[in-house]
Amino acid sequence: MHLRYVFSELGQGLRRNLSMHVAVVLTLFVSLTLVGLGFLLNEQTKEAEDYWGSQLQITVFLCTENDPNVKCVSDVTDAQRDAVLKVVEDNPEVAGHHEESKQEAFDKVKKLLGEDLFEGPNPPATAEAMQETVWIELKDPKEYEGIVSAVIGLDGVSGVRDLRDELDPIYSSIDALKYGAWGIAIFLVLAALLLVGNTIRLAAFARRKEIGIMRLVGASSLYITLPFLLEALVTALIGVALAATALLSFWFFVIDQQVRGKIRITPWIGFDAVVGAVFWVTVLAVVISVVPTLLLTRKYIKV
Amino acid sequence: MIRFEKVTKTYAGQARAALDQINVDIEKGEFVFLVGTSGSGKSTFLRLVLREYRPTSGRVYVAGKEINRLAGWKVPGLRRQIGTVFQDFRLLPNKTVSENVAFALQVIGRSRSYIDKAVPETLDLVGLDGKGDRMPDELSGGEQQRVAIARAYVNRPMILIADEPTGNLDPTTSVGIMKLLDRINRAGTTVLMATHDAGIVDQMRKRVVELEDGVVVRDQTRGGYGLEQ
Ligand SMILES: Nc1ncnc2c1ncn2[C@@H]1O[C@H](COP(=O)(O)OP(=O)(O)OP(=O)(O)O)[C@@H](O)[C@H]1O
Ligand SMILES: [Mg+2]
Repeated sequence: MHLRYVFSELGQGLRRNLSMHVAVVLTLFVSLTLVGLGFLLNEQTKEAEDYWGSQLQITVFLCTENDPNVKCVSDVTDAQRDAVLKVVEDNPEVAGHHEESKQEAFDKVKKLLGEDLFEGPNPPATAEAMQETVWIELKDPKEYEGIVSAVIGLDGVSGVRDLRDELDPIYSSIDALKYGAWGIAIFLVLAALLLVGNTIRLAAFARRKEIGIMRLVGASSLYITLPFLLEALVTALIGVALAATALLSFWFFVIDQQVRGKIRITPWIGFDAVVGAVFWVTVLAVVISVVPTLLLTRKYIKV
Repeated sequence: MIRFEKVTKTYAGQARAALDQINVDIEKGEFVFLVGTSGSGKSTFLRLVLREYRPTSGRVYVAGKEINRLAGWKVPGLRRQIGTVFQDFRLLPNKTVSENVAFALQVIGRSRSYIDKAVPETLDLVGLDGKGDRMPDELSGGEQQRVAIARAYVNRPMILIADEPTGNLDPTTSVGIMKLLDRINRAGTTVLMATHDAGIVDQMRKRVVELEDGVVVRDQTRGGYGLEQ
């Protein structure tokens, strides 16, 4: 296929409607950044839930050698653990559960406080000192008393942690921020869609003579659509590049450089979360630009 | 080459049919004039051949294929076999003569080497050698129409369709254009031309199909513009 025409058209098209393209790029930039931020907040919630448990989780701590609970005389025995698990499995309030070993608990603490703290001869904690836990997922956040009272008195149980009253407001505010970001993003995405549509209309009008001749001499619809598609893709990718830069800067300067070292109440999102956010934002941008282009060129350039 | 079987075309929102139960059969290599008063349906006939529209009823065959049943993605393939020329030339004003002709080949994916050979050859054929680098507005009307014919013919189509190609030209220039179309016809291309130009039709003595209110009222092998006395 002859792409010389396509690319010269692409360059011309981008210059011809420069102000429209700038409008599309800026709208995409802001909306994609908001969507990406929402995604990062979502990931941050997951990180926190992983550590502290979700709104539906309560945690059963099993006995260790030097347990704060005087009732515990030694590490939980296999028989005791099985008994606890049996009670958990049989309880109607429980949706599911998983166990966490001392080593897993230790890994989490290391991740929160930083690995380097635990290197050297005198670490502040060891895996052995950690408590084994059973994480219980509730069916209904309001129905928890049955399971708590069922396990609390069992042998080998050190205690039950139910942080949901404390965690709830934190998770709710993160959720509010997330949905706020996405809510605003929806309006901006709508604006971006309209702008993309308008750009295509203008471009189709500016090219109507060429398009008429192309149809007449038998150019394929794909060939006729290609300059429009490329134009839309280029603006979308510029929008993505700007949004990716904003998200990466936010993560690096705010999360990684500041918050991570200063606020050690939860593990913070890593670079992989940013990669995930940029991926979804790219998909969204391509959809926002390509779908209306395909639909509208179909309308304006009927064969 | 082109066959209309009981073709009716009624435009959306129109009570009267633009073409009404038309039967026409055009053989390969024929030269056919389509005449008739304004609004008699000539352009509609040509658009049906190009499949710009589908007939409301009846069948249109081009090169043996029933084109109203052609899938949408095959329409470009049909149009590559048909060259089209209009009264208003439809050249791209920001491209040179050569570029205008080359454009028709580029957009259907012809190779550079083919284009570099076919474009000057065709410009030569239509009598525009040496004018390839001019812009359309530096040419006379007759020359612009020659560019349009070169563009329609550069892909060596089986059929050439011309909708009043001499409508904007003076009689002398028109004769030149007709000679060119005749030459293209003699080289094997079927030519179908809608026109109001009585002088030309009378002079050429080709087959004449006359439409009136969407109906064929005359189909004469070596006819004139009006009915013979
Ligand atoms: N796109 C359209 N929508 C509705 N009606 C149309 C359309 N094109 C043509 N018509 C009508 O169809 C009839 C035939 O038109 P057509 O253009 O085929 O005539 P014509 O013979 O080419 O006329 P002319 O000599 O003026 O070019 C006319 O009544 C016209 O008003
Ligand atoms: Mg007409």
